[in-house]
Amino acid sequence: MLFNSYPFLFGFLPVVLVGFYVLGAQRREWALAWLTAASLFFYAWWRPINVLLIAPSILINYGLARALERTRETQPAQARAILIVGIVFNLCFLGYFKYLNFFESSLNDAFGAGFVLTQLILPLGISFITFQKIAFLVDVQGGRVDKFSLADYGLFVLFFPQLIAGPIVHYREMMPQFRAAPCRYDPENVAVGLTLFFFGLAKKLLLADPLSTLVAPLYKQAAAGTPQSATEAWIAALGFTLQIYFDFSGYTDMALGLARFFGIKLPLNFNSPLKATNIVDFWLRWHVSLTRFLTAYIYNPLTLTLTRRRMAQGKPIFGGRNTSIGAFLTLLAMPTVLTMFVSGMWHGAGYTYILWGLLHGIYLCINHAWRLVRPRIWSNARVYNRRAAPFGFVLTFISVVAAMVLFRAPTASAAVVLWKGMVGVYGVTLPQAVFARLGSIAGFLASIGVRPAWTSGSILMAATIRIAVLLAIALLMPNTLQMLAAFEPALGVKPGKTSSRLERLLTWRPSRGWAVGLACVALAGILSLGELSEFLYWQF
Amino acid sequence: MASFLRTWIGTLVVLALLVVGLNLLVDPYDVFGTPRLPHISLLKPGPKNHALLAKTYQIARAHPVTVLIGESSTHIGLDATDPAWPDAVKPIYNYGIPGAYSTASSLATMREALASGNVRNVVVALDFPDFLAPDPSGPGPVEDERRFHLLHDGSANPNRSLQVAEDMALSLVTMAALTDSLTTVVRQNAHSVLNLAPDGSSNEADFVNEARTDGMHDLFAQKEAFEAQRAITLAQVMADWKGPLPCLDVVASIIDLAHAHDVRLTLLITSHHVDTLEIYRRAGLWPRVEQFKVELAELVGAKDHGVTLWDFLDYSVYSTEPVPPAGDRHTQTQWFWEPTHFKKALGHIMIDRIAGASSPDFGVVLTPENVRARNLQVRRQRLARDPRLSDNLRPADFAQ
Repeated sequence: MLFNSYPFLFGFLPVVLVGFYVLGAQRREWALAWLTAASLFFYAWWRPINVLLIAPSILINYGLARALERTRETQPAQARAILIVGIVFNLCFLGYFKYLNFFESSLNDAFGAGFVLTQLILPLGISFITFQKIAFLVDVQGGRVDKFSLADYGLFVLFFPQLIAGPIVHYREMMPQFRAAPCRYDPENVAVGLTLFFFGLAKKLLLADPLSTLVAPLYKQAAAGTPQSATEAWIAALGFTLQIYFDFSGYTDMALGLARFFGIKLPLNFNSPLKATNIVDFWLRWHVSLTRFLTAYIYNPLTLTLTRRRMAQGKPIFGGRNTSIGAFLTLLAMPTVLTMFVSGMWHGAGYTYILWGLLHGIYLCINHAWRLVRPRIWSNARVYNRRAAPFGFVLTFISVVAAMVLFRAPTASAAVVLWKGMVGVYGVTLPQAVFARLGSIAGFLASIGVRPAWTSGSILMAATIRIAVLLAIALLMPNTLQMLAAFEPALGVKPGKTSSRLERLLTWRPSRGWAVGLACVALAGILSLGELSEFLYWQF
Repeated sequence: MASFLRTWIGTLVVLALLVVGLNLLVDPYDVFGTPRLPHISLLKPGPKNHALLAKTYQIARAHPVTVLIGESSTHIGLDATDPAWPDAVKPIYNYGIPGAYSTASSLATMREALASGNVRNVVVALDFPDFLAPDPSGPGPVEDERRFHLLHDGSANPNRSLQVAEDMALSLVTMAALTDSLTTVVRQNAHSVLNLAPDGSSNEADFVNEARTDGMHDLFAQKEAFEAQRAITLAQVMADWKGPLPCLDVVASIIDLAHAHDVRLTLLITSHHVDTLEIYRRAGLWPRVEQFKVELAELVGAKDHGVTLWDFLDYSVYSTEPVPPAGDRHTQTQWFWEPTHFKKALGHIMIDRIAGASSPDFGVVLTPENVRARNLQVRRQRLARDPRLSDNLRPADFAQ
């Protein structure tokens, strides 16, 4: 069931909320059981067989967690073995459904292996659920989970606001909230939840979705090998970057809002990533819960193991300015690229996703290397940060946009066509109708190589205006978390220093003006429900 | 917080009711048949991108005796109120669907038109490029068939009521409907506004506006770039095609359907500007065009159901009209908006011919006996026409 659908908004959600509040007024346990049952129904709506696939996996993980809990202090070696079994089981579960066909087709391509590819039913949100289950096992083994029951664990895994596309949550940040939640109607939670939900719905339907029809034909043409002029290539790159930006931002807001109806605060997941001034900053703002997971469960253990090994061998380790190239490559570059490779694989079973992850891995290595080198060139960090921030922003923005081409392109060769277009290999064109209206400027443009083309002037104008407006929203406006900071819209988010007049003006408060404004936003979102569309991140 | 929530829900309900009221009053897609009000909804530009939706509900209210079936050239170029139509065939409804690009769509819309039971005459316009390749939609259901009374196999559509309810809802409570309602009201007093008349005919406002701002040359050039690409693709698809042309079986179904309903059927191979013909000739498709006419004439003859097949696709005085040069935004063409869309003026002449007017220079009723001679005649027309036209093609790089 999609959040942005009539059945969800006018059927499922009201029924679940009423049931939750009514049962919660009697007994908390009943309300939480109702929430688990509703989440199962939500999951089954799309394909009932999803439940049959995911339920045994939940039971097996619960059993492993119980075994870990029993053995982790008394029999650490056995606990470690159980953990490895659990991780391997979950990765095999994910691998079978998500990657089997990819590996078999890759082997077919490379060696003519002759595997017959089968159509597998990919359980929804399997990547999110798998990571969450692995994190739970690791936390149990590490003693970070105090107590849990099957009902607790079921609710933790299935809680519908974050079930399909995150945020990826930790048991230790969710269960205390469920245990403390009053499970009753709370006007503040409902008001904050409504605001988050309808802001998210509007972002998704009014800002992200219209870009789909703009960029899809351009990527299709690129996939067919049709050269794209710089104009079209940049529209394709910027258009998709903004589409996925508002799609994911909208989804995250909706998930936060839905959880808030039940008195639950989900962790921060999306924090104006396009405002980042370097690529490390970008990954601290984009899909924060995934970055957190990959850092905690892949990057850190890998770095720790490699550091210990180097220390045992008597080799230098990472040491700030005095870091050797060998230490940098072994202890930072290699784990970073490997972690981002996993990130790429996690996003999709395809070469383009892997290349996208690797490209970001390289970006991060360059960023880290610059951090090591920069103090030797520019010692005053404060002055550097002030002066280099605009340059860093532009460089980061262009890097992210260029990488997004790989994320959206159906093939790597299509991405290359668009990249070549972006750097002007296929020239720069403007629609003839636009060219004809530029008067003397047209002559100048022609002299520098801009050519007229029989493309639609009205589409170009509409695309340019749309992209400009969306960029302004993404880069200049405060985000939803900032606007609602006084009400902790995400776990741990507190009010910061409101610096600009615009931020003060857009600070949410339960006033009549905001109620009317939110009603307009909500109506615009509801009226746009007619055109159903899926969230881009649901496929992961 | 409680006050906030009360204000929010109250405002939402009031605004939603206002939106429903406005959409019902303006009826931007002419789905409800709300009376058209001066300064509010007299002109209907809204159906521009929802023609099939609007026309399927319009035709149910129009009770036509004659229906015009086809694509955008029919939608724009054949006027249901043209004075050349004989009184005996009125009222007429224009069921041309812009952007259909599918012969199967013509069959489906004709089936829907006949479902009303009043129709006695059907005119089906045939755009020749559609017959040079297999129908992209295949033999199965066509897009938006879900709102028709009958499905593509002739059976009753069991889900039509559900679709009608959805259409009503989408015309009342969607952002697109609200935007189109507001646009409809705002544009009532504009200079040149697109309008879908209750008889299904569209005015030519979009072309008028484009011709005014870009000039006729650009209108032709832009469409020719598209047609050149289409011709190249069709030539590749048809390179190894053997036997009868694809899609003629759809025409056979159209003839059978007309016969089964005892309606008089007129088939119309519509006129295209010489630039289109030259594009297809240069792509190596002219033998296919001639094959199309021969097989069509033989099909009509073999069926022997009294169907009339008119051919207006030639190098006539109309189709060879010159296009103004680049940069000239003032000179207007007389008969064509661009190479594939004839103006209502030429539509009038075609209607006049099929209504019985004599004209030795334009339009021939094809039969199995005269079709080959007709093909030779068109070849001679091409050879005899102004040789300068052959170099007048846009885009210039098509020959490459």
